Amino acid sequence: MNLIDIAHDDIESLGVYQVYTGGGTGTGFLIDAEHLLTNCHVVAPYRQVAVEMRDKTRIKGTVKRLHPYRDLAIVRLSRPVDGALMAISENDELRPKQSVHILGFPVGLPLSLTEGVISHPKQLLDEQYFVQTDAAINPGNSGGPILNDRREIIAVTTCKLNQADAVGFGIPAVDVRKFVADFRAQGADFGVQCPACEELITRKTRYCPNCGTDLQSRHDFDDYFEASDDHPLVQFVEGALRQADIDPVLARHGNHNWSFHVGSAPIKIWCCCSEHLNFSSPMAQTPTRDLTRLFQFLLSEDHAPIAFDLTGSTIRMNLVVHTADVFTESERNVLAARVAHFIRKADSTDDLLIQQYGCQPAPETQTAFLKGEHG
Amino acid sequence: MAISSLTLPAPIRQRLSVAPRDFYRRDHAVELFEQGDALGGAIEALRYLLPGMEIGDLMSPLRLVQGTARVYVSVADDILTVRAHLAALGDPPSTAALRFFLTRISGTGQLYQPRLRGDQVVLEFSDRLSLVHPLKLIELMQRIAMEADNHDQWLIDAFGVTTPDREPLTALSDEEFERAWTIWQAHWEAVDALMVESRRRRIIRFLDALGAFAVNQVRYTLPLFGSIRQRLNDAADDFTDRDEDPSKRDAALSKCIKEMRAIGREELRANLGHARYAISPLHEGTPSLLTSMLGAGSRMQATSDLRAAGRALEASLELVADFLYLLAHHTWSAPIEQSLRQALDAVSDKPWREAADTLWSHANQIARTYGSHGEGEDDVDEAPGAEHAVTYQKAMNRGQGNEGPASPGSRRPSRERTPVMWRLSVAASPAIGAHL
Repeated sequence: MNLIDIAHDDIESLGVYQVYTGGGTGTGFLIDAEHLLTNCHVVAPYRQVAVEMRDKTRIKGTVKRLHPYRDLAIVRLSRPVDGALMAISENDELRPKQSVHILGFPVGLPLSLTEGVISHPKQLLDEQYFVQTDAAINPGNSGGPILNDRREIIAVTTCKLNQADAVGFGIPAVDVRKFVADFRAQGADFGVQCPACEELITRKTRYCPNCGTDLQSRHDFDDYFEASDDHPLVQFVEGALRQADIDPVLARHGNHNWSFHVGSAPIKIWCCCSEHLNFSSPMAQTPTRDLTRLFQFLLSEDHAPIAFDLTGSTIRMNLVVHTADVFTESERNVLAARVAHFIRKADSTDDLLIQQYGCQPAPETQTAFLKGEHG
Repeated sequence: MAISSLTLPAPIRQRLSVAPRDFYRRDHAVELFEQGDALGGAIEALRYLLPGMEIGDLMSPLRLVQGTARVYVSVADDILTVRAHLAALGDPPSTAALRFFLTRISGTGQLYQPRLRGDQVVLEFSDRLSLVHPLKLIELMQRIAMEADNHDQWLIDAFGVTTPDREPLTALSDEEFERAWTIWQAHWEAVDALMVESRRRRIIRFLDALGAFAVNQVRYTLPLFGSIRQRLNDAADDFTDRDEDPSKRDAALSKCIKEMRAIGREELRANLGHARYAISPLHEGTPSLLTSMLGAGSRMQATSDLRAAGRALEASLELVADFLYLLAHHTWSAPIEQSLRQALDAVSDKPWREAADTLWSHANQIARTYGSHGEGEDDVDEAPGAEHAVTYQKAMNRGQGNEGPASPGSRRPSRERTPVMWRLSVAASPAIGAHL
């Protein structure tokens, strides 16, 4: 069946998921019910990542294999998932103008399909071969599958040329098959493949024990085996999330960004400048009647240090933490408790706004968790 | 008849006397705070921010005046509070006013928030002293004072609220007002005539310069407050926005000119007055700003090209707009301010060609004498001045001076010239980015 004929629901059923780390987001696809294949640069240097399911819930994934040179990675999921598997093509005979279909999460948008043709089936760049395509690929597509008309994976999206139009590249299926086959044959829990000889390296070492390549000078190998210190702001936010019983790995949404739901309420955390950490929950939408009473409630001094604002018709509950306070060690616990209070309060306040002030759930509200008649 | 020159009058707005800040005090404040003396750190931070003002022990509230706003700082039970009254809503409260406070003043990325105390709306920050780092207090004081000053008489006009705790302005003398009225009328008449030229030429760069001239000449010369200032600022947000469609900017400026020309003597008189400022509402001018605006670089080269092509009106309007921007939004040492002013005096009511040539040589002279000559000069060749004008205005109007997306640098084109491989993961998804 031609992929372009596939109905929207069929795309949604495919085992292609968005991968989140503290460094960014990318795409990954199932190679079996418990393993996801993506790019090394999507997950590294994190050993634990979040994978978002179609219903927006996230599960944890543990990085098992990295191939920094070929830019591939395998992640083991915390539970089996039922997305449809796509076969990795056994046919390496690609030809120019052959149709390709690319699945991924461009610029963080929901799962999207773009189409194009193979511009060059074996383009040599940086001493490696790539499948070159003119299909639209964007940041966020990384690690996603490039499919042929038979819905087989012929390459894995990896990069494109900056300041050039429609010049994108995929890692050929032959390399993907080998990477997956090697992984299945190897017993090591975690390993990184030597960029020169592909020897599996399972512990921190300066030189490849097989070929003697200086690993540190080429790919910062140390980072794969030894977590570097988190920024104090990250330490603070993730510590506060733990206090609120939120798993920080599942909340990460790129560099100095976190997003998650607590009950029904969506929570977003970001650092907008060098001075402020913002905690915000776009929790409800204003009703059309009896607004004065609602606005008086939202502006009430009783909420301090929490505050509300309106963006369009969306009510947001906000808390701002000054970064200077994060570096005041003696007050960190007080601040973390304040953040935890904010998170817990968000879950109850959206119910209150809906039940007592006639508000509607916000677009990002998880209505299944609302209490009362909207639940 | 086509306009042949510009009148560039001396300002009625009083010159701000800005006492120099002692940076040692700021460092000392941080030291005190880090040694556990949070109150001492806060007092020292205020001494740094408000040089010359008696700070006291903060147990009895410190009051400072910022334009029409009164800002209070006090400490009680180890809690530091900064507060500025905005309005009393009355009964029943205005829904539109409440919505305004929630949409335009509440927000992320700021330490203060509007709070409703009874029927009073108050800009407020309150926290334990141990959570008031001196640098945080300095930032807070600057922002809350500016925000409170922005919402003056116009709240009464717009929402029918009362403003019980505001500082009255000192009315202009009759002589000052007559001058102000003359300036006002002549200015908007000139802008109206230039608008015709703008529409004839249909050049975006001309519209840029005209918009900057329209708003900055008023800001520089007149101590404008209240609804007229608010309306002008709102309109300027649109007609100086370089990201906006030029036809919309053109329409916004045209509408603004009509509105401003329709304002009568008494309405203008009610919106003028002299004010005191505890904290300078202007940016501190720097040598690098002078270099970037008036020194050699692509910006001045473009103006030079206009002169060489005989387009003296465009060249002189751009230069006038730049000089006015520097004076309207920045404080300068007396010699620099005098030099900038002398340039405008020299070209007031002079024909375009003479004005362009004179301003050009003044600009070169000022950049050479007072500009920066160190490292980094190469990095200021992309017309930052106009960007500053837009960005600063938005920050002033919207109280979002610290929001990341508004930074001038964000509009700069990439300097990368060679194609490079781009990895395709996302640093942050637009869902998050939209809230930044």
